[in-house]
Amino acid sequence: MNPRFDPDLLLMEVNGLTVEFDTPDGTVHAVTDVSYRLHRGETLAILGESGSGKSVSVQAIMGLVPSPPGRIAAGSVMFQGLDLVSASRTEVNKLLGSEIAMIFQDPLSSLNPVFPVGWQIGEALRVKDGLSRADARARAVDLMDRVHIPNARKRVRDYPHEFSGGMRQRAMIAMALAQDPKVLIADEPTTALDVTVQAQIMDLLDEIQRESKMGLILITHDLGVVASVADSVLVMYGGRIIERASADDFYAKPAHPYSQGLLASVPRLLSDMGRLQPIDGAPPSLIHLPPGCSFGPRCPHVAQECLTDRPHLVEVPTRPGLAACKRMGKF
Amino acid sequence: MSLLEVRDLVKEFPLRGGIFNLTQNKVQAVSGVSFDVEAGQTHGLVGESGCGKSTVARTILRLHKATSGSVFLDGRDLLALSGRELREARADLQIIFQDPFASLNPRMTVRDIVGEPLIIHKRASGDELRTRVDELLDQVGLDTGFANRYPHQFSGGQRQRIGIARALALDPKLIVCDEPVSALDVSIQAQVINLLKDIQKERGLAFLFIAHDLAVVRHISDVVSVMYLGRIVETGPIHEIYDNAQHPYTQALLSAVPEPDPQTERTRKRLVLTGDVPDPIDPPSGCRFRTRCWKATELCANETPPLVDPGIGHAVACHYPEPLAVAVEVAARSGEVAVRDPFAMGS
Repeated sequence: MNPRFDPDLLLMEVNGLTVEFDTPDGTVHAVTDVSYRLHRGETLAILGESGSGKSVSVQAIMGLVPSPPGRIAAGSVMFQGLDLVSASRTEVNKLLGSEIAMIFQDPLSSLNPVFPVGWQIGEALRVKDGLSRADARARAVDLMDRVHIPNARKRVRDYPHEFSGGMRQRAMIAMALAQDPKVLIADEPTTALDVTVQAQIMDLLDEIQRESKMGLILITHDLGVVASVADSVLVMYGGRIIERASADDFYAKPAHPYSQGLLASVPRLLSDMGRLQPIDGAPPSLIHLPPGCSFGPRCPHVAQECLTDRPHLVEVPTRPGLAACKRMGKF
Repeated sequence: MSLLEVRDLVKEFPLRGGIFNLTQNKVQAVSGVSFDVEAGQTHGLVGESGCGKSTVARTILRLHKATSGSVFLDGRDLLALSGRELREARADLQIIFQDPFASLNPRMTVRDIVGEPLIIHKRASGDELRTRVDELLDQVGLDTGFANRYPHQFSGGQRQRIGIARALALDPKLIVCDEPVSALDVSIQAQVINLLKDIQKERGLAFLFIAHDLAVVRHISDVVSVMYLGRIVETGPIHEIYDNAQHPYTQALLSAVPEPDPQTERTRKRLVLTGDVPDPIDPPSGCRFRTRCWKATELCANETPPLVDPGIGHAVACHYPEPLAVAVEVAARSGEVAVRDPFAMGS
C-alpha cells in the first residue's frame, strides 16, 4: 500500500450527494446518492465516461453547480466539521481555494488571458492572506519553482499565451497550491495534454502529494491514468456509483458488469488483445433513467429483477469493496 | 508496388505579416516524409500534437497543397492530377474525420449524407441509390429505419458510423482515418474499432490510421510510423516497434502511456521526457529530437540521421539506436531524463 495514504485520517466525507438540473425537457438526474470518504494522502479516482456525473459530483463540492438550473437536492459534504452544502456562502468561501483547491482540464480557459501568470498565482495570497504585491510575487516565483516551471523568476511576468499547454497546467497547479490545500480536486487534468506531458504532470502531482500528504480526487475517464496513480477507485454510471474498491482489487477483479465491460473494451499497449469486447448500446439519458439498474439495458448478465428493482451498493462476495449489482456471484 | 507510396512529402505553411503581408516565416509542418501503405493493410501514423501527422493525411488527400514530394495511389501521382482526373482518383481515396459532430452536414438526412458521393460520381440514382444506401447503413450497423433522421438525433458513436458509411459509398481502396475514435467514450471506441476491422476484412480495404492513442494504434495496425516534428523517426511492423523500439523518442512515447493495470504500472521503468517540443518555425538542425535527447552529441546537431534499418529488422532515424533496457541505463546515468523506477522510490 502507498505509504503516504493514511486511512485513519479522514479529510472529507461525502454523503448521499444528489444533484439535479431543471431543463425544458425534464429534470436531469446528474448525480444521485453519491457517498465516499477521502483520507489524508489518498488518491481517489472517480472513473466514468461522458455523462456519468463524475464532474458534476465534484463541482457540487466546490459550489460550482450553476443555480438555477442546477440544485443540490440532497446530501452533505463534511469537511473540518462543516457541511459545505448547508453552510453559509461566507464560511464556505473561506475554505474553497485555500483548504480545498481545484484544477481543470483546460488550463487555457481557466487562466485569465490579460493578466500575467505570476499575478494570477499570487492573487489568492494578496486577496485572502493580505500579502503585498512584492511578497505575493516572490511566493509566486517559489510556487512556480515547486511545479518545475523553468526560469520562474523571468516567466512570472509572462502571459498565459506565452506558456505551452503543459506549462499552463503547471501554472494552474501552482495556483491551486498557493494556500497549501488539504484536498486537491483534479478534473481531467491531463486529458487535453499529449501523453509525454501527461506523464510529467502526473509525476508532478505525485511528488507534491508525497510532500504535502494532501488528499487528491482525480476525475478521469482514462483507465491507464487511474491504474498508475490511484489508491481507491469509484466507478460512476448514470449518475450513481456502481463500484467502489481499492485500485488493486478493482483491476484484478472488477465486480460490476459495467466495470468488467470497460476493462475488456480498452486496447492495451503492452499486449495483444485479440478482438475487443465492446459494451453494446449507449449510456442512458439522465432525464429518463430506467427504473431498475441503469446499466441493465446494456448488461450481458441482465435478469428480470434488474429491470424493475434498483440495485444498491453491497459487499462484493469475492474480495473487499462494494458494487451495485443484483446478479453478483450468479454469472 | 504498394497501394499508396508517399515520397519525400514536404508541407510548409507560410506565416504572413507586416505591412505588405509578405511571407515572414514558414512553419515546417511536414519535412520529407516517405512511407507505403499496402493493399488491405493498416498503416498507423502516430505522434503528439504538432508532429505533422494530420497534415500528412490532409496533404495526401489534397486538402492542403503539398510544397513538394509525390503521392502515388496505384501508380498514379495524385499531386500531379487536376480537374476530372483528380475527381475520379478521389473516389478511391476517402477520409473519416475525428469529430463526428462537425463533419456531418446538420441540414442533411442520413440518407442524403451517405448517398451524396454516389450522386456526385453518378454511380447510382433512384431505387438503386436507395438500395445502396440501405446496404451501406446495414454494413455499419445502423438501422435503415433511421435513414431519414438528421445527424443531431444520433449519438457520437452512431455519427461516426454514418461517416464510415459515407466513406465506403464509392468502394474506395484506401480510407484515411484521422483520429476516428479519439472523440468517443471508451466503451463506444471499441465498437467503432471492431467495425473498422470487420469492414477491412470484408472489403480488402487499406487504412492510413492517424492517431495519438498508441494502444489503439497497436490494436488496429499492421505497420506503424512514429512522427516527431515533421519527420518519421521510426517505422516498422507493429511488433517490431512496440516490442523493440530503438529510437529514444519512440521509447519515451511508449513508456509515457500508462497501462490499465496497477501491477504493471508499479514494476515498469519509465522514461519521462523533460521540456517541450521545439517551435516548428525554427526546428533544431540535424536530428530534431536532439534538444530533448539524453544521448545527443555534436554529430546529432550536424547530421540528420537517415531513416534506415541498422540491422534490427526495422528502420530508425537515430545515430545511436539501442534497445530500451540499454537506453534506460544510459538515461539514468545522464540524469537529463527522469527514469521513473517504481522500486527505487521511497515515500
